[in-house]
Amino acid sequence: MISFFVSVFTFSWLYHHSFWYRSEDADDYKNPDEIAVGVFPKHNDDMRLEVAWTIAPFILIVWLTYVSWVPLDAVWSETGEDGYHGEECEEGQSSNNQLDDYGVVTSECYHVIEITAKQWVWAFDCLDLSTEICDTGSDNIEVYGTVPLLSLKTGETYLANMRSEDVTHAPWFLGMGVKEDTLYGAQIGPSEYNWPTTLWLPISDIVDDQIILCTEYCGDAHSVMAGKLVVHQ
Amino acid sequence: MNRKSMRTLLVLSAIAMAMIVSPAVVSYPTGIQGVKDSGCNCHGATTSSEVVPSITGLPDQYNYSESYEIVVSFVGGPASPTNSNQGGFNLWVSDGELSPSDATVQSYNPNEVSHTEAGNDQTSWTLIWTSPSSDRNVEFILHTNSVNGNADGANGGSSGDMWNKLTAKVSPPVLVLEEADPFVVLSTLIVVSAILLAFTLAYVFYRTNPESFTWDYFAPWIADWLTTTDHKKVGTLYFVAGLFFLGVGGIMAMMIRIQLAVPGNDFLTQDQYNQFFTLHGTTMIFLAAMPLINGFANWMVPLQIGAPDLALPRLNAMSFWLQPVGALLIFTGVFSGSGADTGWTGYAPYVVSETAHMGTTMWVAGQIMLVASSTLTGINFLTTIAVMRAPGMGWLQMPLFTWSILIANLMLFLSIPAFGIGLIQVYLDRVIGTAFYDVSAGGDPLLWSHLFWYFGHPEVYVVIVPAFGVISEVIATSARRSIFGYRSMVYAMAGIGIVSFIVYGHHMFTSGMSPTLRFVTMLTTMLVAVPTGIKIFNWLKTMHGGSLVYRTHTLWTLGFLVTFTLGGISGMFFPSIAMDLHLHESYFVVAHFHYVLVGGTVFGFYAAIYYWFPKMSGRMLDEKLGVLHFLVGFISYNALFWPMHRLGVWGMARRHHTYFVTTEEAMGALPIEAAGWNMFISVSAFIFFFSNFIMVANMIKTLIRGEKAPPDPWGGWSFEWMTESPPPTPSFDPHNLPVLTDANEHIANEPGTLSKLFNRLMVSEEDTEEVTH
Amino acid sequence: MSVHDDHHPSAWGPHDWSHGAPHNSWSPFIMSVGIGIFLFSVAGVYRWGEMIDAGSIALVFAGLAIIMFGLAVFWRQDMSFDGAYEPKATGTPFRGIDIRKVSVWIFLMSEMMVFTSLFSTYMRYRFGIESCESVFESGQWVEGTSVTCFEPAGHLIASSWFHIAPGAINTFALIVSSFTVVQALRYAKKVDLDHKVRTKLVTRYLGATTVLAILFLTLKMIEWFIGFPLPEFLAEYNHGDTTIKSLYAEGYLINADSYQHHYYDTAYLADHGHGISHDTELYAMMESGTHSGGQMMANIRVSASTFYVTTGTHGVHVLGGIIGLMYMTFKASRGGYTPENAVSIEYFGLYWHFVDLIWVIVFPFFYLY
Repeated sequence: MISFFVSVFTFSWLYHHSFWYRSEDADDYKNPDEIAVGVFPKHNDDMRLEVAWTIAPFILIVWLTYVSWVPLDAVWSETGEDGYHGEECEEGQSSNNQLDDYGVVTSECYHVIEITAKQWVWAFDCLDLSTEICDTGSDNIEVYGTVPLLSLKTGETYLANMRSEDVTHAPWFLGMGVKEDTLYGAQIGPSEYNWPTTLWLPISDIVDDQIILCTEYCGDAHSVMAGKLVVHQ
Repeated sequence: MNRKSMRTLLVLSAIAMAMIVSPAVVSYPTGIQGVKDSGCNCHGATTSSEVVPSITGLPDQYNYSESYEIVVSFVGGPASPTNSNQGGFNLWVSDGELSPSDATVQSYNPNEVSHTEAGNDQTSWTLIWTSPSSDRNVEFILHTNSVNGNADGANGGSSGDMWNKLTAKVSPPVLVLEEADPFVVLSTLIVVSAILLAFTLAYVFYRTNPESFTWDYFAPWIADWLTTTDHKKVGTLYFVAGLFFLGVGGIMAMMIRIQLAVPGNDFLTQDQYNQFFTLHGTTMIFLAAMPLINGFANWMVPLQIGAPDLALPRLNAMSFWLQPVGALLIFTGVFSGSGADTGWTGYAPYVVSETAHMGTTMWVAGQIMLVASSTLTGINFLTTIAVMRAPGMGWLQMPLFTWSILIANLMLFLSIPAFGIGLIQVYLDRVIGTAFYDVSAGGDPLLWSHLFWYFGHPEVYVVIVPAFGVISEVIATSARRSIFGYRSMVYAMAGIGIVSFIVYGHHMFTSGMSPTLRFVTMLTTMLVAVPTGIKIFNWLKTMHGGSLVYRTHTLWTLGFLVTFTLGGISGMFFPSIAMDLHLHESYFVVAHFHYVLVGGTVFGFYAAIYYWFPKMSGRMLDEKLGVLHFLVGFISYNALFWPMHRLGVWGMARRHHTYFVTTEEAMGALPIEAAGWNMFISVSAFIFFFSNFIMVANMIKTLIRGEKAPPDPWGGWSFEWMTESPPPTPSFDPHNLPVLTDANEHIANEPGTLSKLFNRLMVSEEDTEEVTH
Repeated sequence: MSVHDDHHPSAWGPHDWSHGAPHNSWSPFIMSVGIGIFLFSVAGVYRWGEMIDAGSIALVFAGLAIIMFGLAVFWRQDMSFDGAYEPKATGTPFRGIDIRKVSVWIFLMSEMMVFTSLFSTYMRYRFGIESCESVFESGQWVEGTSVTCFEPAGHLIASSWFHIAPGAINTFALIVSSFTVVQALRYAKKVDLDHKVRTKLVTRYLGATTVLAILFLTLKMIEWFIGFPLPEFLAEYNHGDTTIKSLYAEGYLINADSYQHHYYDTAYLADHGHGISHDTELYAMMESGTHSGGQMMANIRVSASTFYVTTGTHGVHVLGGIIGLMYMTFKASRGGYTPENAVSIEYFGLYWHFVDLIWVIVFPFFYLY
């Protein structure tokens, strides 16, 4: 929206000026700034104007940053009290996903699943969740061939712990618009920087069946390294 | 020029040729076509001529969609009916479908079949081939094993076994031409462009003086170009090299666009596609954009600040010559069919993994040379601009193009060593086996990302800031005004320079950085918009009250303002991280950076070409052809990149060799409209590609018979317009430098506080005396 | 044949410095080709640390020879004995200063970034990967399986005074060479000195600098690859051992994925009367019988890579200095330096001080800590 106004403003200014101040030939021009070769021309500036269009965009971007803070907070929600998704579910407990005023999914608790990537196939693991909540399998999509399938339940929230076995990959859940890198080395050696990357998958009513693609370049068959997310009731 | 130097020249060019031809480093015995060549899990190390495979039952010409029963068999080798096993086979076909007719044969996929456990004890197998429904040249590749049936444990029972390979071809009902291998196409196109370039240069040489078109004149002429240290000639070399590689990168882009024109296309294999986009990126950034910028910087910076030449002319020649040699190294992989396939970012650990092509080593080596070149360039320009300004020109009287080059080089200079070290680490990892990015030894892939983006993000501004400089010059000259807010322009550029170092984290939003850092990066990234906004508003205000003269360079400048603003606004989507998570690595990103790099840098430098070409060559470019170039180029450019935004939002991922649309039968990643848009993009891409030849034709035409250019054709104020067109050598007499006067009241020559401090620190007493004498 | 020669003196021969105009030179072209051949052929000899084609070694040397030839052309053009063309800055902040001096400073700025990047790499791994010592003491290992940990070279080197000796001598050698190069500059600039005496003194001091730089690299080779014997009477200060082993002999290598050392061997420690410290977890585990002790095996490839590449990069800078110094000593012996024409010693000195300074930082980080 803001982008739209900024561009309308800029472009109307551009078109107005480029036609209004047009001059057919160069001879009749005024030379208000005393331009001559070898002479630094007169300054053409207006301190108040320049400061104005420094301050205005600055305020604008601070506001933009503030606006994008809520969805950011939701996407990288912490676990526990401070987060949007509570603690890990007890067995048989349900997340009871709700949409809050900002359109962010909040839940009472979450389930943990695991995603492992290697060249060039995804592996989904439901750990010890019941098949009612999470199921894996494989499916034949005509164009991609046999792909691994992840089946999740509507109204539940999942936290995926992700690892890689060779190079960096990144699952992109197309329909949900989220992705995160899976890093190799996240499980090797006694290093303080080694942690698995995580990804929240809150399955609300609007989430539909979708394809999962790899979006961190990983070599030969990168483009057909696909998976499928199926949502069940 | 004597004979001895000619000999050396010949020897050197022979060595250069040998480097292209010799495949020592990169060719892998297995070649590049995985399935076709190494699909057979053959027993024994080498082929044996004792084994004779054969295929019977194949027609010379097939009928559409007909099933043929074919028999594959072999004779010879250790196979004999008394063995427990006799042999096996693997058959691959380029088109149509293979299917088993009994239990001795199994199908891996429609294109590939092999024997089963049950079919282990025979020497011939029967199967069905269903021919394709269209006209294709079909190729069969058969591997057969002849087995002695022993069970020698550790060797998997394969010692003493032999194998051989057979290829067969079947023609379609209507004969079609053999499909071209894209690599052959690319190599041919590159070679043809190089030959065309050579012919063009020879022709231009011929036209400059038809009488002197003999070897005796030509040899010293070409030797002069090879050895020159004159900033103008080196600038021209950069310029020609930059345009040449712009063409090469363009050819690769066209191949990519052919591949993506329809969903599920197989014009390029995955493997080839990966190499093409890698080299397209590397070529365009390092071998096209940077040389074009350096070409103009070489030409114009000494002229604009009134210096006779650059500070270190020989090092300047060195920075240039490192580039073509580095380019050769980068392309060695392609010529042998296994070029780098890592993406221009070359993320670890893929870049040091054995799955990455061998050509990656040479790609890295070539970039090390480019890093060296950029460092030398940086030293040269920083020194020149800092110390060689003509009397009367203080820091804040420098033309804005010079300012932009100063800031770009400062950014590049402070960031590129990090990239160089990263590259050297990767080179050593791949060559002598160090373990900087070997994850199993504890190496950290993110270290590469940090080193790369610490350089990579400033690099993006390094290629755009000089375009800002050009636009500032052109718009002021065309509007017959001095630039609005000269000082805020300088501060805005410096601001971009400073901010560029603290925003690079936004390339790694999805790489698992800590939330605090992500927030900081988000804010700083948004901050870039502030100085950029100032510049755009200043340019617009410059036109206010002026008399805008419409020339080709003015048109390109206005085009730049449109596209750059759009590119800038689309860029504002990324720092908002929640959106970035969707758009990261999608076509939205591709659209964004092409809008900024093509619409920004390339448009800016097209403006520069039309603006400064008269100064450089002494000939006026044809305005009609220029306007034609602008109209075709600008429209096709927007048609090319604008739809990509939408594709990205739909979910078209970057660096994917193909994409699939959802149809009634099958689920794909994209809605069905995406196919149409991609075709539209491909067509626009071709128009855009060819529109650039209008400019090349324009340049050649005017070089031969163009109108002579006056010293100051557009009415600019800076020193370059004071010299003849083209300028003499040395550009200004070192004993009689021009002096800049200032139309403003304040006196510029008075050194400021900082200058006084520098002088006290760095100039010894004797030196000061010399100057005052 | 010579249409342009009036404007441009030979592209091979000495420059006419008073001319002021740009001079043609073959050097950039030749050196670039040489660098290309060098990088190309090194990758032809080795791949993933294994030699694949010994035949390409000839090409490596051919590349180096071409670079040296290009450098020779460069210096041939630089050899001037009459007067000096040293352009002075005209721009305001640096007015009157030598232009090339500014560029040397700017060059050092990028060198600073080079070493900063190497140090960042080092720090990332040094502080990101647990050190072998603490892994050993924590008992989180079993005999026979390699663990990934960081083993600083300093741990090995600082274990004995004799091991430090080459590094320590090197430090002094570099510091003294910084002094000698300044002496060379001082005598070259001294006006009231007979030209013959000056030539002799400058040659002598530059020669001394060269010798010290060569000493530096020799000691480095000894420390890395050769090792050295100790006299009998000193052996008792070295655990009774009469040789100081090189890092190579100790197995501190970039491909050391199963590095073993007697520090990390409970049996060895017990034999030599140290035992393991009683407040470590390993001790507690061995006491309670949950750990059987033995020798720990470590993958130290990352630590060795950072050590060799960082100190090696510094070594390459010293090597570059030696090549430059050889040329300068030669030029000095021909009487090439006069008070008006001593700037190249000054510029070289700036570079040499920088190399020295880097060593002063590298030494404690890689040899002592």
